[in-house]
Amino acid sequence: MANERNPERRPDPDALLALAEKGKRGRLLVFLGAAPGVGKTYAMLQRARLLRQEGVDVVVGLVETHARSDTEALTRGLEILPRRVVAYQDRQIEEFDLDGALRRRPKLIIVDELAHTNAPESRHPKRWQDVEELLDARIDVWTALNIQHLESLADVVSRIAGVTVRETVPDIVLRDADDIVLVDITSEELIQRLKDGKVYLPETAKLAQQKFFTLRNLTALREIALRRTAARVDDQMVEQLRQNAIEGPWETAERLLVCVGPDALSMDVVRAASRLATGLNAGWVAVTVDAPGQGDAAGKNAKHVDDALRLAQSLGADISRLVGHDLPAEILLYAQRENITQIVVGRSKAGFLVRLAGRSLSEALVRRAVLIGVHVVTGDKPRETTKHWRPGADLAQGLPSGLLAAVGSVAAAVGLGKLLDLWVRLPNLSMIFLVAVLFSAVRFGLRSAIVAGVLSFFAYDFFFIAPRYEFTVNEPHEFFALAIFLITAILVGWLAGRAHDQARLARESAQTTRSLFELSRKLSGAVALDDILQAATVYAQKTLNARCVAMLLPEDGDLILTSAWPPIDALDAGETGAARWAFEKSEAAGWKTGTLPNVRFQFRPLVTTRGVVGVCGFEPADPVAPLSPTLEHGLNLILEQAAIAIDRSILVKASVRTVALEENEKLRTTLLASLSHDLRTPLATITGAVTTLQKFGDAMPIEQRRDLLASIEEESNRLTRFIANLLDMSRIEAGALRPKSEFVDVAEIVRAAVERAGKTFAGQTFATSLARDLPFMRGDANLLEQVLFNLLDNAQKYGGGGRVTVHARRDGAMVLVSVTDEGPGVKPADLERIFEKFYRGGRADGRKTGTGLGLSISRGLIEAMGGKIWAESPAARRRGTRVVIAMPAAEAPQIAKAAP
Amino acid sequence: MSGARILVVDDEPQILRFLRPALEASGYAVLHAGTGHEALRLIANAAPDLIVLDLGLPDMDGKEVIVKARQFTSAPIVVLSAREREVEKIAALDLGADDYVEKPFAIGELLARLRAALRHARTGAAPKTRVEVDGLTIDMDKRLVTRDGVPIKLTPREYDLLCALAGAAGRVMTHGQILTAVWGPAHKDDTQYLRVFVGQLRNKIERDPSAPAIIRTESGIGYRFAESVQAAPTPTGQEMPVPPRPQ
Repeated sequence: MANERNPERRPDPDALLALAEKGKRGRLLVFLGAAPGVGKTYAMLQRARLLRQEGVDVVVGLVETHARSDTEALTRGLEILPRRVVAYQDRQIEEFDLDGALRRRPKLIIVDELAHTNAPESRHPKRWQDVEELLDARIDVWTALNIQHLESLADVVSRIAGVTVRETVPDIVLRDADDIVLVDITSEELIQRLKDGKVYLPETAKLAQQKFFTLRNLTALREIALRRTAARVDDQMVEQLRQNAIEGPWETAERLLVCVGPDALSMDVVRAASRLATGLNAGWVAVTVDAPGQGDAAGKNAKHVDDALRLAQSLGADISRLVGHDLPAEILLYAQRENITQIVVGRSKAGFLVRLAGRSLSEALVRRAVLIGVHVVTGDKPRETTKHWRPGADLAQGLPSGLLAAVGSVAAAVGLGKLLDLWVRLPNLSMIFLVAVLFSAVRFGLRSAIVAGVLSFFAYDFFFIAPRYEFTVNEPHEFFALAIFLITAILVGWLAGRAHDQARLARESAQTTRSLFELSRKLSGAVALDDILQAATVYAQKTLNARCVAMLLPEDGDLILTSAWPPIDALDAGETGAARWAFEKSEAAGWKTGTLPNVRFQFRPLVTTRGVVGVCGFEPADPVAPLSPTLEHGLNLILEQAAIAIDRSILVKASVRTVALEENEKLRTTLLASLSHDLRTPLATITGAVTTLQKFGDAMPIEQRRDLLASIEEESNRLTRFIANLLDMSRIEAGALRPKSEFVDVAEIVRAAVERAGKTFAGQTFATSLARDLPFMRGDANLLEQVLFNLLDNAQKYGGGGRVTVHARRDGAMVLVSVTDEGPGVKPADLERIFEKFYRGGRADGRKTGTGLGLSISRGLIEAMGGKIWAESPAARRRGTRVVIAMPAAEAPQIAKAAP
Repeated sequence: MSGARILVVDDEPQILRFLRPALEASGYAVLHAGTGHEALRLIANAAPDLIVLDLGLPDMDGKEVIVKARQFTSAPIVVLSAREREVEKIAALDLGADDYVEKPFAIGELLARLRAALRHARTGAAPKTRVEVDGLTIDMDKRLVTRDGVPIKLTPREYDLLCALAGAAGRVMTHGQILTAVWGPAHKDDTQYLRVFVGQLRNKIERDPSAPAIIRTESGIGYRFAESVQAAPTPTGQEMPVPPRPQ
């Protein structure tokens, strides 16, 4: 091996990468023939049978046997995929069943006639696109193709054979095929087979076909097919050499550029460039130059450009759109930058003057190119041309009103001239007409100015030059004056008109920029996904003047219609399919694309660096005309902006979710730590005290033993309270709490709670102050006592050892019960927070204590009973906290009144 | 070790309520600190012989207390901590704590830990040359390990591992500490490695390798080399000999 001899020589990584990419797809084998009837299908089936015998999973997807018995015989014993029957205009068309093939997933599938055009309503308009999908699904495909159907040869074939080729296959399909089998017989033999009736011909096309099957035609086609295959074999060898890092002269330094203009010749120029590039084994790029700010004026011309560029792309070229006024300069600059060695250009049908000035593109290129070969392609029949290459191309603009203005202003000039003529003899009366020309130019542009100039010329002559009212001139100097006037008028008109046109373009471009800026400001201002989608949808609809624009975003593996303007409810099955396609394959689908072209919408993927974030679909107002380049450009900008905004919104959402998760996590950790501490401390005390008693009890003084036992009891109570709190909390949270609604004697529960607190917290003073006219209140006595106890517990904990007082009084329809301490109080900002779960206030010594559940539970209980609870601080003399419970008052029960 | 002065750092007065009589009954003098700052002040001024430290303090993290205390004292520190806070325990041990006891604990268990820590502090300066436990003898002068008088063949690594563990007999060693001591700091995190070696070592030195009595696993933390092995060890370790009551 070469690389063993020379370790420096390593396989070309690009070549290996391409090989690896190929491994991800199915393999494509093309049976290539020069003409129908050479036996491609036969050869294909014969080979398939051999593979079948070897046990390979071969399926015949579709084969046209044309009722030839020997071919038909070959299909016997092979699995044949049922065809899909399509109803089309009262006819039943049988088509290849792409979905069936994808479901069946054979190792190898045979699909005849690569150039076939599918019935309308099919997923792809062309069969070669079906084949591409099969290959993408890693299914190997064998197919057959006649050389005449190759895109780059379509014009050559039509010239040679005199038939127009409608069904074409892009060269790139053949180029990317893994191998080609040339099926060849001599032309004489083929003609003999035709005469023997071995070649199937549809009756209608018989005559045309017979004209096609001449010895001359067939020989020419055969030569093309042979040459193509030979070139292909050559390429394969080079490829293999590169992959294996064998040195060789395969590096081609040639790089081709083809200039695409707005004339119909461009298609032929592109094809010629393609053939040249293939011959030179060179990479090539198709380039067009747009005038800056070029508006819709170029709509029709743009179609030629777009078509030509699309053709170039399908033939394997790169595409580039340049912007600039000086065409040759732009092209040469680009050529220099891209190391272009050959330029292909069509010969423009420029006018005589232009050619005289050497201003035609091809001539300028030839004159100015350095070290670059220039190929000039000529058309063979007169083509419609437009002077796109020169500035001020949009002459057709604003004609009717401009024309009227020109006539009107010249008429006004005549009137004014006549009027002045009555009083003074002006030697320079022509000035008045210059004003008319200028007016037309400034208001209505170049075309109007020129018309005005010419009109002025005649009007001036007719009305003011002797002999008057005749189109003749007496004096020679007057003739000169008139000629100079005409030149001046046209020049001034041209300059002013150009200024006018440029101003208009600048205005338009400013308009575009402004509205784009508007959109981008709207989008960057919006974070909520709905706002972004709404803004982008409405804007896109306005810009495209579309019937409808819709945005779809993925959700759980499905594409959901998230926004549409004007609003629609749903997309139909075909539209959804196209949207899915656009999303999954990251390419345009639907209207005017290669996939599901019958769908009314066209869907474009919204692509960011992280991948496809969604799909934008639009239904054009005019289903026939393609998008103009301006709109295309605008749409791309909108989609880009929208994609970025959507992506950002998704990221923001994700980061918000992360923050929320983190917060949640933090809360859970705090909760666990708090639970752990609150449960463990009493347990530790109990365990420690018990084991100490066991170990040292016998030797301990009696007081010490009593103290340990007391600590065990206290801690057990603490644990019990804590567990009760936890249970209450979970009952409140689970909504399992069903408080009773009964008449409650306020004084009674206050007394009970204070008594219990006094026992539990020895050494703490509790005072009560109850109003005399206290009514009953409605609630659950047990729960109310629990709440009061919790409040007393808190008050003694944070009250700094001061007195804790319980007040109760009536306030309108409510009974207010409050617990006040004399502690340091609560900051105003924390008055609400203290009711949150696991919020714990600081004690005087900085130590946090308690479970942080007491107030939270109290609020839960009180609210469940229909009351309110809040905290006030400071309570009195700038110190202390007061927690107030308000419960609905209830009149004394009937029984109390009935039995006094 | 009677008369040793023990500083209890815990903010829960209830803990001190039983700890003080128990420690005093065992012959120790008890100092108490409720906060980290107070603890550091007492460590600096009163020079206790041992510190019992609750990691959850109101004013500062218990670990911070360890770091600061270690700047001026080598007195053993025994940490009180909850069972589920393994990371915190390991961090405390790696920062210089000598041992830990999980809350809630039986008093006997705590006392045993305190004794081991105090003993180690006393003899720590002069490394042991001979360790005996459960019929296993390690003679570090002769580099000889025997079980019931029968020599056991160990690889050099196994011997180093055994010595590292035995050197801290009675106290816990974290995985990181063992790995650093035997394999070097670069292998500080190779816990899986350590498990394999400990398994091999147990097969050679334990009477019943399936129920190891000499090298105990402190799950999630490290290993502890037993100081003595009872016939039927109980988790609380209550049957530790009761030290004589102070008069």
